[in-house]
Amino acid sequence: MPQSAPNTEKMDEHLLEVVQALHGAVKKGIPNVKDPKIADKAIQDCKEILDVIMDGKVEEWLN
Amino acid sequence: MFTDKIELKDFDKMDPEFKELLGHVLTIQADCEIGGPHLYVEKMLPAAPTKLDQLIVARTAAEEIDHYRKVARVAGDIGVDVSFVLSQPNEKRFVETFRGRITTWEDNAVFGFLIDRVGRYQLEEFYDCSYLPLQRILPDIVTEELGHIDYGYNKTLELIAKGDEGKAKAQKAVDYWYVKALDMFGHSGSKRSERYRYWGLKRRSNEQARKDYINEVDPILVKMGLKVPDPLQGRRYM
Repeated sequence: MPQSAPNTEKMDEHLLEVVQALHGAVKKGIPNVKDPKIADKAIQDCKEILDVIMDGKVEEWLN
Repeated sequence: MFTDKIELKDFDKMDPEFKELLGHVLTIQADCEIGGPHLYVEKMLPAAPTKLDQLIVARTAAEEIDHYRKVARVAGDIGVDVSFVLSQPNEKRFVETFRGRITTWEDNAVFGFLIDRVGRYQLEEFYDCSYLPLQRILPDIVTEELGHIDYGYNKTLELIAKGDEGKAKAQKAVDYWYVKALDMFGHSGSKRSERYRYWGLKRRSNEQARKDYINEVDPILVKMGLKVPDPLQGRRYM
């Protein structure tokens, strides 16, 4: 078996959590899209999660 | 022609060229998957025209991050660390299409319609490929890409339906992204592309995949009432 790259499993687990959190927020927002309070909160939650991913500070995510 | 099917446990026994090509293509694929959100999240998440569209932008980004995760796992398992692409500036993306920012809604719509479609073509290259762990992640990824293409198509149609101004915006975006889409297939007669096919990692030559794409997209553009851009103007890779 080849040797895995460092942090392969840890990164996989972390990103799976990120994706699940995003889907969770989207699933709360879409059925309530006409309720500004719920929809705005869902969009804000997505933004906060995505901002971290777009920043790409990989070492911080894993420590 | 190599026709075997390889599992992770067989990887160490493989020819160095196979290993190098597989690592290379996975790195580029990972870069393209995460390159999409880096193009549109910053400007389009706040600027999408409705709250529903904002949430769909977020869902699309979530799906692309998940595609990255799946490709990165396949790469990581063979010892190829692709995590550097997560922090790579857009200007350094492997594929020129991803070096920039999407700042208008029409560009976001047409990007889904035309560029995610190229993404689907790239993934379809791996159908029945010789590396089974790669083959296994494809069905879910392709299903989600189809959703992105449909969404982009419908949003482009909405723009066109708004009248002359909307149609002109859609046409301008198509003129920009169509050329980039054709370039994404790479050089015709590429030697690397031949070696991918030799090792069973890809199915078609660059020129064949590009031709198939043109044959699929051009009639759709015509049906939408848009002009098909000159396929040669502004191209970098012929």
